[in-house]
Amino acid sequence: MFSFTKKQEIFDINGVKIGGQPGEIPTVLFAGLFSKGKPDLITSQKKLQKIFELSEQLGNPVIPDFFIKKEEYIEIVINFIEKSIPKNIPFSIDIIDPVIKTKVLELLKVKKLLSRTIYNSIHVGITEEEFNSLKNNKPNMIIIVAFNPKDKNPDGKLEVLENGANLTNDGLLNIAKKIGIKKILLDTAALAPGDNSGAAIASIPIFKEEYGLPTGCSIHNVVEKSKWLDNYKNSRKIVDFSSNINISAFGGDFTIIGPLENAEFVLPIIAWEDILISEYSEKYFGIKPYKTHPRRKKL
Amino acid sequence: MTTEYYPWGGEFVSVSPENNLAVVVLNLNYIPNKKIAIYGSLKTENIGIEKIVANIISNPNIRYLLICGEEIRGHKSGESLIALHKYGIDNENKIINAPGAIPYIENLKKEAINRFRDQIEILDFINITDPKKLDIIIDKYAFKTFKSYGKPYIAIKFKTEKKLKIDDKRALHSKIKINYMGKVEKRGE
Repeated sequence: MFSFTKKQEIFDINGVKIGGQPGEIPTVLFAGLFSKGKPDLITSQKKLQKIFELSEQLGNPVIPDFFIKKEEYIEIVINFIEKSIPKNIPFSIDIIDPVIKTKVLELLKVKKLLSRTIYNSIHVGITEEEFNSLKNNKPNMIIIVAFNPKDKNPDGKLEVLENGANLTNDGLLNIAKKIGIKKILLDTAALAPGDNSGAAIASIPIFKEEYGLPTGCSIHNVVEKSKWLDNYKNSRKIVDFSSNINISAFGGDFTIIGPLENAEFVLPIIAWEDILISEYSEKYFGIKPYKTHPRRKKL
Repeated sequence: MTTEYYPWGGEFVSVSPENNLAVVVLNLNYIPNKKIAIYGSLKTENIGIEKIVANIISNPNIRYLLICGEEIRGHKSGESLIALHKYGIDNENKIINAPGAIPYIENLKKEAINRFRDQIEILDFINITDPKKLDIIIDKYAFKTFKSYGKPYIAIKFKTEKKLKIDDKRALHSKIKINYMGKVEKRGE
């Protein structure tokens, strides 16, 4: 287990804290709301209610991550966030299409929801339009994905943060600063097996010691891409859920767990791991668990 | 899946390597019902395309690459693959005129890309999602007479790993060191 020499930032968004030394702040889960067609938000609301209750019991926050695929779904999703997500809970938006990104940001501003928004995410594909749109409609927090197609090792990931690796004119950290966002989360960009999938985990303590910023990734993506697991159907989900402990074990602060349905299973696993880490961190490094930490809630 | 024909692996099914047609399926649950050479999905406009190129040139029998299904929003992987075939890459390794967000080919030599551009003909059926229509289209190309391109081209991945001399065996990375309790420090400080 780790403790970092560099001061570790703790950011707050709507009362949810993220970051800090291992064993200090409960690990945060980002749970995706995806849909193949029109978003089924009535079902989502029931699931979310159940997950928020479980999250309250255990202490690990769950942030709903809204994936908006088509323009015609923008209003449906944003209205749902406005009316149905409790005001004390932040949310993130995960959009690939540049046109939709801009429209969503504009609508979030109109609805006065930007203070609860985590923008998931900027990467080396950021365009001038996206940059300007973010500048004009500033979300409270942003995730930077350190994906470097040239070099999938930790050094390559650091390079895109520092100087853009010749893929952007500036490093992604500077770009976020130029937008004017200080609350930055770093995503170490988990890639498929065969593409140095382990580098996403190894990069966590490196990023934390280098920048002191909250760090995590979507290790779930690696499990999803592990096609050989299809031959072990009974184990696939167990591997998916438990893979998330790699992030906490390496000092990370957040995990992007895939679909919301996973949260019910991942929450107790992460709470258990947080307790394990906290016991050691307090004894050897004097790190006190925050008041909502699962160790305080469950022991 | 990695077979002797397709050393780079990826999300594909190798059906009949002696056939001439490869099918890339975008955002669609479709299984071609004919004995084509290979079919599989494509998601990203960088690593995904690299794998397709490397795998295809390793099987010289493949002369047609059919792209079908619903284009992937933002990534525009199908159109980026077509752009790679049409225009190649620039000096920054960016696919020329590709509409995707991060269309970089970083792990293949230009020679491999040129071979891909020369070896295959692209059949652009992006936005065709009806399986019946696709079956008819595939029928048309799967048994076309063709000539093998010749020898396989086995693309070697560029190695970016750096060789480091690290005396401290507990180190995770050259930038940090970790003491026996788990305290992380920057190396050299």
